[in-house]
Amino acid sequence: MQNKHPDKLCCFPKNILGKITGYDNDLLQMPTKILEMGLLPETSFKILYQAPFRGPLYIEYGSEKTRVALREQEAKFIKVEVLG
Amino acid sequence: MQDQKKKKQILLVGNPNVGKSTLFNSLCNRKQKTGNYAGVTVASLSGTYTYKNEEVEITDLPGSYSIYPTSEDEAIFTRYLIQEQENYAGVLYIADAINMKRSLLLFQQIQDLGIPILMVVNQIDEAEKRGIKINSEALSAKLNVDILRTNAKEHLGIDEVREAIFETQFKKTSQSTFEIPIEQKGLVYKIAEKTKDHNLYKIWTLLAADTYLGKIERINEIISQEDAKCNVPKRLQIQETVRRYQNIDKIISETTEKIPQRKQLLTEKLDRILVHPVWGYLVFLLILLLIFQSVFFLAEYPMNWIEGAFSWLSTFSAEQLPQGPINSLISNGIVPGIGGIVIFAPQIGILLYFLYLLEDSGYMARVIFLMDRFLRPFGLNGKSIVPLVSGTACAIPAIMSTRNIENIKERLITILVTPFMTCSARLPVYSIIIGLIIPDENFYGIKYRAIALMAMYLIGFGMSLFASLILKNIIKTKVKSFLVMDLPTYKMPLFGYDFKLVLGKVWEFISGAGKVIFTVSIILWTLSYFGPSEKQNQSVASDVKLEQSYLGKIGRGIEPAIAPLGYDWKMGISILTSFAAREVFVGTLSTLYSLDDEAPEGRLIEKMRLDTHPNGEKVFSFATGVSILFFYAFAMQCISTIAVVYRETQSLKWTLLQTFAMTLLAYFSALVAYQILK
Repeated sequence: MQNKHPDKLCCFPKNILGKITGYDNDLLQMPTKILEMGLLPETSFKILYQAPFRGPLYIEYGSEKTRVALREQEAKFIKVEVLG
Repeated sequence: MQDQKKKKQILLVGNPNVGKSTLFNSLCNRKQKTGNYAGVTVASLSGTYTYKNEEVEITDLPGSYSIYPTSEDEAIFTRYLIQEQENYAGVLYIADAINMKRSLLLFQQIQDLGIPILMVVNQIDEAEKRGIKINSEALSAKLNVDILRTNAKEHLGIDEVREAIFETQFKKTSQSTFEIPIEQKGLVYKIAEKTKDHNLYKIWTLLAADTYLGKIERINEIISQEDAKCNVPKRLQIQETVRRYQNIDKIISETTEKIPQRKQLLTEKLDRILVHPVWGYLVFLLILLLIFQSVFFLAEYPMNWIEGAFSWLSTFSAEQLPQGPINSLISNGIVPGIGGIVIFAPQIGILLYFLYLLEDSGYMARVIFLMDRFLRPFGLNGKSIVPLVSGTACAIPAIMSTRNIENIKERLITILVTPFMTCSARLPVYSIIIGLIIPDENFYGIKYRAIALMAMYLIGFGMSLFASLILKNIIKTKVKSFLVMDLPTYKMPLFGYDFKLVLGKVWEFISGAGKVIFTVSIILWTLSYFGPSEKQNQSVASDVKLEQSYLGKIGRGIEPAIAPLGYDWKMGISILTSFAAREVFVGTLSTLYSLDDEAPEGRLIEKMRLDTHPNGEKVFSFATGVSILFFYAFAMQCISTIAVVYRETQSLKWTLLQTFAMTLLAYFSALVAYQILK
């Protein structure tokens, strides 16, 4: 799975600055809470930690450095790229 | 003289973890009462204060990120906000200076609904530490709202907030910040004409809200079937959120300054350990150990004082009251019965206090993060850990705290299995039975009794996981489970505020259980004082022997059902009465033994130890004891819990299923245990 979705948040490497570019096509399947929390396109982020056995991801994002926990399953909806 | 003052009603609203409770606590220094909407760790209260001779009542609603709810507690918030609109003067909106962006989403939604609002920006000093500078004047002008700045923790700006509420500085705007997308405009106008409501955003929310909003569902009666079919609420919500954030981004960039900081913040430092794959779990385990250690050892001192006080009261009333049945009812029935409950107040208090502190500090979110992966295979959510841990205090608040679990299936499973957790009401039963059947000896310094008690906790936890696993395969749902959870910055918990909450909860427990025990004692006493008469002209005889009384007859009547479990009729009666509440078991036994003139004298546990069957065998043998322990571990013996389960699930089916399944499990496991060990 690690390389299956290289452009998705679920498979993004840890501790590397990235940027949200958009969402998966299946937008209606995605929890709206992701948007409400402010995980929007153009937002910069970093995955700081992941709980063991592919547990939730600990993500820091935005200029406010907000922290949020997401499961891989939700992170799969979010398209990302490395921020140069 | 009549009080002519009219109360001014204010709602306290904001995102979760923005310091709402702190502000609430600073504002309402006088009266506070738990509202109908109380959770356990998320405390929503209403409180009052008087300022310049005006009485103000503030209701602290559960935090939310938007008016479109995804969980039950958020639904409570939205329902209250919209349906009670005529009953409050305005919304006091708490914005978080650290995360202004997220705060503004909900703010503008409420503002656009035409609700009068006043903004309080909290934690400004914290934000400045992070290099965030907010220009309040510019922001106030952009948002068209009055803005106050507070630091609730240090009581700064509180009087200004009171003054603003006194002056009713709540502003209502007519200009919506959200423009209805072209695709929906036609439909929105059509509804506006039909309903004569000209707040277009309000109509939009009717289209965009899913089923969660209750009354709002009426929209389907207004719009045509065809329009309803094309309407995908979620798509509208997404559209709205994205557009609003675009607008908010602009406002933020024009009103705040951000100086990048290199300094590491406390939260970052702490989380390196607290969510670490090894240290994180170790710390959590240590915290749990510390809590249980405190529950059992720290609580010992106040428990001894309470025991002393009640035994003094019992002796005192026995000596002072005139001799007779009433004397025995009070000094042997009611006083020891109530004392048997009050004695557990310290343990419950300590447990709840720790839970409040953990929640308050922001640590609970980390526990959810750590546990999610391990609870998921059981059909639970990381968020289930909070009710499960709270369940060791009491299942009632624990079940209420499931409201923040978004997924209905996960929430239902959590509600159904939480009563398996060893709640504090089981403690009195466990400690007396373990005291009877386990010798007071050490195993390399560890008490056998402590090991037995620990085992009971593990059995409860194990059974709740096992039951989840079964339920996971029974309950079907299409709704996908998800976890999107804010990890708040760590805060120093509000020790005083939490302590006050705990005192309130403990008092609720004592008075609630006290009433039950009081009633049960009187009923037991009446049933034991009277019995069927053998004389023909009289149907009821008084002052009969316990065995001859109605109570004795009932006990004998149920004996066939309980004899296979190894119980005599006294235990049978005690178990029967403890279906009101588990802790009543000990109170009932103590009443029964003191009513029985033939029972040995001394403390209850001594009486129980010495009690024998007619054939000379001990009544409380090892097998009987284990059987009772199993029965209490699994049986659903708490009317209040059943009531709460029904209220939270709104399903008679699940409530009854849970009650019967648990009680059957209790019966058969007790049966098997007794038959094997006997």
